[in-house]
Amino acid sequence: MSKHASDGDGPSNEDKELRSRLDKLSGALAEQRLEAHERQAQETATVAGGETGRALSLGFRVLSEFVAGVVVGGLIGWQLDVWLSTSPLFLIVFLALGTAAGFWNVYRIAAQPTRPGQKNKP
Amino acid sequence: MAAEGNAIDPIHQFEIHPIVKFSVGGTDLSFTNSSLFMVVILALISLLMLWGTSSRSLVPGRLQAAAEMAYEFVASTVRGTAGESGMKFFPFVFSLFMFVFFSNVIGLIPYTFTVTSQIIVTFALAALVILTVLLYGFYKHGAHFLHLFVPSGVSPFLLPFLVLIEVISFVSRPISLSVRLFANMLAGHITLKVFAGFVTLLLGAGAWSALAPLPLAAIVLLTAFELLVAVLQAYVFAILTCVYLNDAIHPGH
Repeated sequence: MSKHASDGDGPSNEDKELRSRLDKLSGALAEQRLEAHERQAQETATVAGGETGRALSLGFRVLSEFVAGVVVGGLIGWQLDVWLSTSPLFLIVFLALGTAAGFWNVYRIAAQPTRPGQKNKP
Repeated sequence: MAAEGNAIDPIHQFEIHPIVKFSVGGTDLSFTNSSLFMVVILALISLLMLWGTSSRSLVPGRLQAAAEMAYEFVASTVRGTAGESGMKFFPFVFSLFMFVFFSNVIGLIPYTFTVTSQIIVTFALAALVILTVLLYGFYKHGAHFLHLFVPSGVSPFLLPFLVLIEVISFVSRPISLSVRLFANMLAGHITLKVFAGFVTLLLGAGAWSALAPLPLAAIVLLTAFELLVAVLQAYVFAILTCVYLNDAIHPGH
């Protein structure tokens, strides 16, 4: 009730005070919401099989992404060779490119683990 | 999953046989055991969701709790990877997750057929995901979607190679998505059956039959492990779908 003393300054002062309080509160609310969100995401991760399960699925993911890159590169090169009858040229080139794509896939998994924090990018 | 009679054939469980023969213009459209299990899966999912959401009580019963858990799980996965704007794909991801999850888990019950152990089924699912990504990406962003294949801040020398590599990497996505699920289910089921074959072989081997409980114990452990793999692969399939959809929603990272 000590605010009554500042009543004489007019409504603008009180308005400012209220606004700052509102900002602070909504900031706290947003923070809490974000925290709840993160906690939920963590819980979800634990539901999905814990430490071993996550490592297992990550391992399978890395393996299959790498192999798929090589296989797709090889297939494209082989098919181009069949069409253009340039027997081993494109197979070799695209096999190399496919291997690079496989490494690129693996690098992307390793460099950017899917975090809930980095969403909503424009 | 038990070895069948005297002939031990670990591949036999994946054979497709028609139940109702039916063909249109030379194309075989028979209703097979695979189709039967797809119908069973769809019926079970519909039952769970319809029954589970019918009472809408504040304190959920068992079925309602299961249905709500499935919803919450997939919803938080979608929100976590594709953001709030990814929620418009929630029905799609939810259907995929439930289908893969149910077919993986039902396949673990002896004498059932595992739908996801057929590469054509998993590839159809993966192709559906990639087609959705492509169509939505081009619909939403037009030619700007192609920026997905052009890494930024690279010298023009290397750019053609990097674009080629990005394209190969994109094309490899449906392959890796489908092969991972298919190979996990196939390998797990073959392993179980081979171990079951060891049990019967040992039982018929005179004094060696004392060893028969060993592979049996291994089957128990492997079944638990396969249950983990079944759930995990469904989860991985769903989360990768979200990651790919995220590329369509926000291309050009």
